[in-house]
Amino acid sequence: MMNLTKQIREQAKKLLEEKKVDLVIGFGQGTELARTTPVFIDSPEGVSALTWGPFCANNLAKYLIDYKNAPGNVAVVVKGCDSRSVIRLLDDNQISRDKIVVIGVPCAGQLEWQKVADEIKPDAALKETVDNGDSFVVKTSTGDHTFNKKDYMLHRCLVCENPNPVIADFTIGEELPVKNYAERFAEVEELEQLGLEEKSAYWDKQFSRCLRCYACRNVCSVCTCALCVFDQMKPMWVSKRTNLSENTVFHITRAFHVAGRCVDCGECDRVCPMDIPIRKLNQKIHKDLKDLFDSPTPGSKQGLLSALGEFSLGDPEEFM
Amino acid sequence: MKAKIVNKGQLSGLLDKLAKDYDLVAPVKEETITLFKKISSAQDAFLDYTNSDVSPKGCFLPQSEKIFSYTYTGDSLEIVKPESAKKTVLFGARPCDIKAITTLDPVFEGEKFGDEFYSSKRENTVIIGLSCSKVLSTCFCYAFGGGPCDGTGSDLLFTEIGDKYYVEINTDKGQALVDANSQFFSSENTDQLAKDKEELAKKLAGEFVKKVDLTGVKELLDSDFELAYWDEDPYKKCIGCGTCTYVCPTCHCFDIFDFTTGDITGDRIRCWDSCMYPEYTLMAGGHNPRPTRKERIRNRFMHKLKYHLDRYNMVGCVGCGRCIRKCPVNIDITKIINDLKEVAQNA
Repeated sequence: MMNLTKQIREQAKKLLEEKKVDLVIGFGQGTELARTTPVFIDSPEGVSALTWGPFCANNLAKYLIDYKNAPGNVAVVVKGCDSRSVIRLLDDNQISRDKIVVIGVPCAGQLEWQKVADEIKPDAALKETVDNGDSFVVKTSTGDHTFNKKDYMLHRCLVCENPNPVIADFTIGEELPVKNYAERFAEVEELEQLGLEEKSAYWDKQFSRCLRCYACRNVCSVCTCALCVFDQMKPMWVSKRTNLSENTVFHITRAFHVAGRCVDCGECDRVCPMDIPIRKLNQKIHKDLKDLFDSPTPGSKQGLLSALGEFSLGDPEEFM
Repeated sequence: MKAKIVNKGQLSGLLDKLAKDYDLVAPVKEETITLFKKISSAQDAFLDYTNSDVSPKGCFLPQSEKIFSYTYTGDSLEIVKPESAKKTVLFGARPCDIKAITTLDPVFEGEKFGDEFYSSKRENTVIIGLSCSKVLSTCFCYAFGGGPCDGTGSDLLFTEIGDKYYVEINTDKGQALVDANSQFFSSENTDQLAKDKEELAKKLAGEFVKKVDLTGVKELLDSDFELAYWDEDPYKKCIGCGTCTYVCPTCHCFDIFDFTTGDITGDRIRCWDSCMYPEYTLMAGGHNPRPTRKERIRNRFMHKLKYHLDRYNMVGCVGCGRCIRKCPVNIDITKIINDLKEVAQNA
């Protein structure tokens, strides 16, 4: 993956040198071996901070919202899933196409950093990562480690639809084949099999430990409201009091608010400090939209209306 | 120092007894998450953990706490105060988290402002610490004078050594608990275990990976509120969630509001608040003194590294490393400290 890192740096350098952009948002080495952190590069000399590999889980497209009113142009490094966010933000008129430059990187999957870190000596330094098809080799100062994708990747990567960016001004590296390590909706289908009370008990257990830190909302690239309903104090639609009832209102409202716009990047799941399987709620909606309207995943094509923003005479309405 | 031994085989008997005599709060595992909860029997306790995902500060400052209930009856307002704090044992808290409680004490039990809700829980709780057996890559308690086997703030400190727990009795409260449950504690061979504990503490002290150097940091923050450093990376990457503050064992900001149903009855609630949220400092007229994430990030780190020291002569961080592990974008307080140290050196 060193080669890809080099190419990303070269591309970023060129864009900054030619003044095509004022800022490049990409991945930089984090403070833990198996983590990266978003970096904001504003000079050609700064590009050496950019990196690439199987620890680039963050969806950086979210940051484009922060710069929508900034004077210059912004380049952003995206994976396939993140690129759906870019399209969604364009279609929602949150960002303008002429102000952004998309550096797309075909992605071979992202590893769960904590799982990887557990198996590597804490004081080891990262040397290199290599994609071996169904596994990654992580080379460190204390030895090499092989991580099978099936066991160590983020769940969202096991069912990845777009390893290749669906929008990009520049694509770094070769296109990659779609590989399904799991059935996309298998987890949702398993939940669907449960009875009403079992389902309720399942979600009660999950929601009851929610801290209401709003990391899921804040990381979400389609959460773009200037004032979120959960931050509104007058009227206070959802109380700050944490209990099962208020927590449930938060999660259900959030899921429906992004319904038809959620690009299934899985960031909500990744960032939850309490490991609440938030993405499953969104996935249920994705599945229903697919079953009912044959809707493609939002953001996978430009110009798609959101399912809740579109009306067609042919829509099924057996519930009427 | 007085010390006792508890054989591992005796622990569940002790915990069951404590659960009977007190409200027993201990680490429990819910799916992948370790957190502190009231348990009714020893088998619910999960002691094979490095550090919990959420700190036990909720024992004294619950995330949501009823201050009183009210009912409006036409011409009068009836106020009902909640039940007073129950006798509680907090078992299995790690040294960093106990140290964190000692940094909360001066906030809620200061001479000027006493907080009855906090102090009644504090007075009624016996804290039994559990020394760490492992150091995580994100741990850095040593930087603030703590340690994996440090008993500061605990009434009793348990340290796992082989098939025994070496128990240090640090306060009268701890002694009273031991006396009341003497059948579970023995006195044999404490000298040897004291030595073993020293060895363990020494071994673990050598395992820290995070290097933290606070030289000049406080002085730098004292000298310049508008440091150019705050215009750099950290605030740009911050997504403004409250994760760091909610998993932090020393963060203690709260909000108070009424939770009314049907206009006539309700609860006055105190709940955690986070300085990372925009509405935290939003004023009635619409002005916000911390309008962007830059000011909010600065506030969080200034609070940890300067304000708490100014007010209470204690650092506002204990090095538990939770904010590092849980931050969605890998904002790392140890990096910020080291960056600030460098800024101070080059100034």
